[in-house]
Amino acid sequence: MNDAAETIISVRNLKVGYGDTVILQNINFQVECGEVFVILGGSGSGKSTLLKNLIGLYTPLEGEVWIEGTNLVAATGDERRNLLGKFGVAYQSGALFGSMTVLENVRLPLDELTTLPAPLKELTALAKLKLVGLASSVQKMPAELSGGMQKRAAIARAMALDPRILFLDEPSAGLDPVTSADLDLLITELAHHFGITFVIVTHELASIYKIADRVIMLDNQTRTIVAEGRPADLKESSNPWVHRFFNREPDAVASGLHL
Amino acid sequence: MNSTTSQSELETDLQFGAAGSARLVLRGRLNAQTATVCWDELEPRLRGVKLQKFEVDADGLEFCDGGGLALLRYLSMGLMTPEAAVSVHGLSTDLEQLFHGFTLADYKALHPSSAVKCHPLPEEVGSGVRQAASDVREQVEFLGNVTRNLVPTVINRKRMRWKEVGRVFEAAGANAVPIVSLVSILVGLIIAFESTQTLAKFGAQIYVVNMIGIIMVRELGPLLAAVLLAGRSGSAFAAELGTMKVNEELDALKTLGLDPIRFLVVQRIIAAMFLTPLLALYATFLGVTGGALVAFGLGFPWSLIFHQLTASLRMSDIVFGLSKGVAFGAIVSAVGCLRGLQTQEGPSAVGVSTTRAVVTSIVLIVIADAVFSVLFYVLKL
Ligand SMILES: Nc1ncnc2c1ncn2[C@@H]1O[C@H](COP(=O)(O)OP(=O)(O)OP(=O)(O)O)[C@@H](O)[C@H]1O
Ligand SMILES: [Mg+2]
Repeated sequence: MNDAAETIISVRNLKVGYGDTVILQNINFQVECGEVFVILGGSGSGKSTLLKNLIGLYTPLEGEVWIEGTNLVAATGDERRNLLGKFGVAYQSGALFGSMTVLENVRLPLDELTTLPAPLKELTALAKLKLVGLASSVQKMPAELSGGMQKRAAIARAMALDPRILFLDEPSAGLDPVTSADLDLLITELAHHFGITFVIVTHELASIYKIADRVIMLDNQTRTIVAEGRPADLKESSNPWVHRFFNREPDAVASGLHL
Repeated sequence: MNSTTSQSELETDLQFGAAGSARLVLRGRLNAQTATVCWDELEPRLRGVKLQKFEVDADGLEFCDGGGLALLRYLSMGLMTPEAAVSVHGLSTDLEQLFHGFTLADYKALHPSSAVKCHPLPEEVGSGVRQAASDVREQVEFLGNVTRNLVPTVINRKRMRWKEVGRVFEAAGANAVPIVSLVSILVGLIIAFESTQTLAKFGAQIYVVNMIGIIMVRELGPLLAAVLLAGRSGSAFAAELGTMKVNEELDALKTLGLDPIRFLVVQRIIAAMFLTPLLALYATFLGVTGGALVAFGLGFPWSLIFHQLTASLRMSDIVFGLSKGVAFGAIVSAVGCLRGLQTQEGPSAVGVSTTRAVVTSIVLIVIADAVFSVLFYVLKL
């Protein structure tokens, strides 16, 4: 277990978007080592966009992303590669390599980036797959898996190198409640016993209450963070949108439904 | 016999005791790097050694990641020391829990068998023939399906999406003009140029015009147009329909009660059947022009060249060329669509379909060409 006060990710004054279109601005937050940090927001509010900027896939329009004391936005060459090696990412769509079996997908980072002997690589990959409950499908091709299974395989691949930080984009979307609860358990175990930091995008209220240490909420209108805190605090928020979100109330005026 | 090795992060201490027992003490950080070094050290000393009892003491481990756990599991499953009773102790409670989450039974069940299945030759041949036969069957079925739908769709103005026909006509026809121009004029020039050398020996250079006229009108014009169409548009049809299949768009069409053949295939085939003869005519014209340029370069006047051309070509030659164009267009578009509809699941499936579309088209074009030649010979056209 790590020191709770240690900051591992620090986002300063971030502005993200595509070309001239600004999707989010004035984004400031910090993630502590070993905590489960959840990014919330309505569909299309820019959660995936923010995540892709955090992991260096896109360059932010403005601002800085500090990960373990290095600014990812400004980092180049070896410094950047070194930083990228410290975290694993599971994308919203899974992004498994279609020409490889599930096992080969999970083995790939081990094959390419470690010197472990072959039997240990395989053992590691199999253990990760067992961890996400995919033990029976290791030899299948990604196209032969259901959407939820692909997602779990992607999480196994993200965990292959035991990264210090795991970024997950909607890990439980498309999973049944039981599997989803298993995944929640896995996340909390890894976070609390092994000090892995999680940055998770999700909509699942049930799992937010179970796993999240801290939550930030993005807003479609103001294009920035509207609320930040523990899930229990946000439930009592005075902001109407946040309140509706946490209490599952419909936005009747906006959707034009007057029953 | 005992030894202690210490690396910067991990200390490994392997001691052999009496009566085939051994004890390994690990201290420090066991991660992917140190596990590799540890493996390299242990393997030559342990593998093949007869041990009854093997103890691993992990009490001193401060850190252990997935790679390290894999090493501990490998040892504890007895994969390195098959006959020994192995025990691992001293793991922290968290690690212990994770460690027991994956057992020897799991490993045995999941470990992919490395034996490559090799089928006997008769089986290979049999399944090959069966595949080829079912492919032919599918092609015939498809042909029947298209023919059945062609007329009703074209007659029914609402069902026939002429806009789509226009779009295909532009993409596959008009946009192909530059490449067709370049290829045909060059082919005409090259053939004429190469054959004048031989014809010169007989003093019959002027006949290069007759020859290029016949070749282009009857054979190469339609063939060039069709091959370029297969490469440019047959592949595009396969890719378009294949992507729709992969994205479940075809399923969506079907559940809306729309037949993909009527909705997507007929339009493409109609467009191709009209545009290929036009392209063939255009290719013929440019090819002949290329040949004529060579003759002109040899010093023959334009009037003579023109006279030779008109004297050697009959109307039936042109009809022959055009009817080939119609048939080739139908073949290329139908094959492209069929391969698109046959697309399997998976990301490389669309690529496979486009390749198959082009290959099958070209093979069928050549076969059809041969059939045409025989047919017209018999009909004495
Ligand atoms: N490649 C792109 N180019 C331009 N705009 C984009 C692009 N990708 C997304 N957007 C826009 O950015 C906004 C945020 O998209 P994003 O995918 O980040 O949403 P999200 O919060 O992840 O939504 P969801 O919960 O549905 O996944 C949307 O308005 C979208 O239209
Ligand atoms: Mg998203």
